Amino acid sequence: MAEDIAKLLKAAKKWKKARTKAETASENKAGEKVASGNGAKKRIALLSSCASQQLALLLEYELHAAGLECELYAGEYGGIAMDVLDSGSPLYAFAPDIVIILPHYTDIKEYPALLAPAEDCAAVVERHADYYLGLCARLHAALPHVAVLLGTIPIPPERQLVGAERSPYTRTSILRALNERLASAAPGYVHTVDIAELAELIGRREFFDYQAYFWHKAPCRIDYLPDITRELVGAIRALLGRARKCLVLDLDNTLWGGVVGDLGAMGVNLDPNDAEGEAYRHFQRYVLALKERGVILAVCSKNDDAIARAPFTENPHIVLQLSDIACFVANWENKADNLKAIARTLNIGLDSLVFFDDNPAEREIVRSFAPEVMVIDVPEDPACYTLALDAAVPFYTLGMTREDISRAGSYQAAAERAALASSVVDYDSYLAALSMRGRFSAPDASELARFSQLLNKSNQFNLRTQRYDLGEIERMATSSDYRLLAARLTDKFSDYGLISCVILRREGESAFIDSWVMSCRVLKRGVENMMFAAIVSTAREMGAREVVGEYLPTAKNAMVQGFYDGLGFALVEETDGRRRYRYDLAEDYEPGGHIAVM
Amino acid sequence: MTTKDKLQDIFRDVFDDEDIVITGETTADDIEDWDSLSHITLIHEIEAAFNIRFTTREILAAKNVGEFIEMIEGKL
Repeated sequence: MAEDIAKLLKAAKKWKKARTKAETASENKAGEKVASGNGAKKRIALLSSCASQQLALLLEYELHAAGLECELYAGEYGGIAMDVLDSGSPLYAFAPDIVIILPHYTDIKEYPALLAPAEDCAAVVERHADYYLGLCARLHAALPHVAVLLGTIPIPPERQLVGAERSPYTRTSILRALNERLASAAPGYVHTVDIAELAELIGRREFFDYQAYFWHKAPCRIDYLPDITRELVGAIRALLGRARKCLVLDLDNTLWGGVVGDLGAMGVNLDPNDAEGEAYRHFQRYVLALKERGVILAVCSKNDDAIARAPFTENPHIVLQLSDIACFVANWENKADNLKAIARTLNIGLDSLVFFDDNPAEREIVRSFAPEVMVIDVPEDPACYTLALDAAVPFYTLGMTREDISRAGSYQAAAERAALASSVVDYDSYLAALSMRGRFSAPDASELARFSQLLNKSNQFNLRTQRYDLGEIERMATSSDYRLLAARLTDKFSDYGLISCVILRREGESAFIDSWVMSCRVLKRGVENMMFAAIVSTAREMGAREVVGEYLPTAKNAMVQGFYDGLGFALVEETDGRRRYRYDLAEDYEPGGHIAVM
Repeated sequence: MTTKDKLQDIFRDVFDDEDIVITGETTADDIEDWDSLSHITLIHEIEAAFNIRFTTREILAAKNVGEFIEMIEGKL
């Protein structure tokens, strides 16, 4: 992605300077660091085998631009081991929430001899992987709540054995195998960020800049620092439960060539025999693949609704179907308002949206009036659409789960469900007609990844908004002080998979609801009542006499503010919006509703 | 536009200061924000603006603006 790195660095520096100045001013005023806001700031440490100041500056700036205020610590060049192994290091004094480790191929001193047998090569790879994963384990032991982002190692652009470079004992092969090993052997608290793959995408001869490395130990050509930054921002968003969920697409000159209002459904360019028509179809195939991995698709077009829909039903060359699109908005309102309406309809936050529109004026309106939305800089040529969207890294995932695949389908089934709703007289008989079946029990080992994912990305139905990575969840699952509960739901239209999580913690004679989240796709279906019945029986098994619940307000979870009141809890304490409740286990709980237990 | 004028524009842009006036003797000590990080950006911008590439030795050797101008003009 061509962009002006100097301009970006300058803007970042200016912002940082202004922020430091503002902080110093407020420190002087209050005599100490202002507590408000600081508590919510995530602390991120960047440790690198290369110089990391520029990357750290860009990362801090881009996180800020994405609405994530963070404190950043940049370790010394080559100081990964020092920071991690020395318990008196600046890293531990900084007390990070997230640690990013970016190794470099120059860390690797030992390679097998040419013609070394495969098992010797494998042993070398394993030793190197053990070193990095050992550092991660050390961090995890000292700071159990820390999530580690471990970069894979970009492979240098020279070949050792051109003609036979794939032989297992070449440096290229050893580094490739090491990267595979880092990704596959990483425990739950480590997520590998594939910087090596990024270097391949850019081209290794282009990505590496030896002059810059020898001069100031730059990790790559300065122009590609923003690409590394985008990968890291994507991973951090996902870790903090702020992954984006929905791609909103324009139609004319975005999904097809020309204006459907002028050219008609058959006149727009989707012609497989025309280079530009093929480019639009290629873009649609890429978008369809996004949908298949769980990205929700929406349309936002300035058009008459019937005209906008016509190419989908009439043009035989169209790739996307109307059924792929969860929310279709074609009208003459301004797009910033339409995007807000789309977010409301889909019941997701505005910052979950990614906007793709060929018209720069529309993009500017959205940037100004809906700044939470990620706006893609769409290139002029449709042949470049897929790469622009891909390089912007809008949909970073920490890993696929089965629910990701079924999600897109369940948003479509919502439309069919709406049709059923209009055919029955009242909501209760509608729920009865859905034939819902649910299972409420501890998650099994294969469900823990999804459990962690749902816990970390739910914002609205989330009572306390505690985030735990997979490693912590795994620990709780085996601890006698904790009980995990998960809910799975199916109805006659879709299998939702795992859609609600609860973490119960023993606190003396109480069972404390540390976390309770639910996917908004299954709101008002009675899942929460069934879940509470499960909580009551689990708490009794734990020997508790009462269940204690708490509501901690955030910008997004107002919907569950009065949730515990509705379940029959008694409010015991309220301070600054934080509400604490108790439920006496001498009382029985009758969930009612229409969910049959599997 | 002379090399020095063009260079002055780059300096003003990189250091975000419209009042910078460079002379042959200007060094990093004369410009507040000229640290090692902005030096990297400066080299990058000069290379892009003049469509040239400095060698590693040249980057390390250049001590003042006059030497920069000499190096640039030697490559044009």
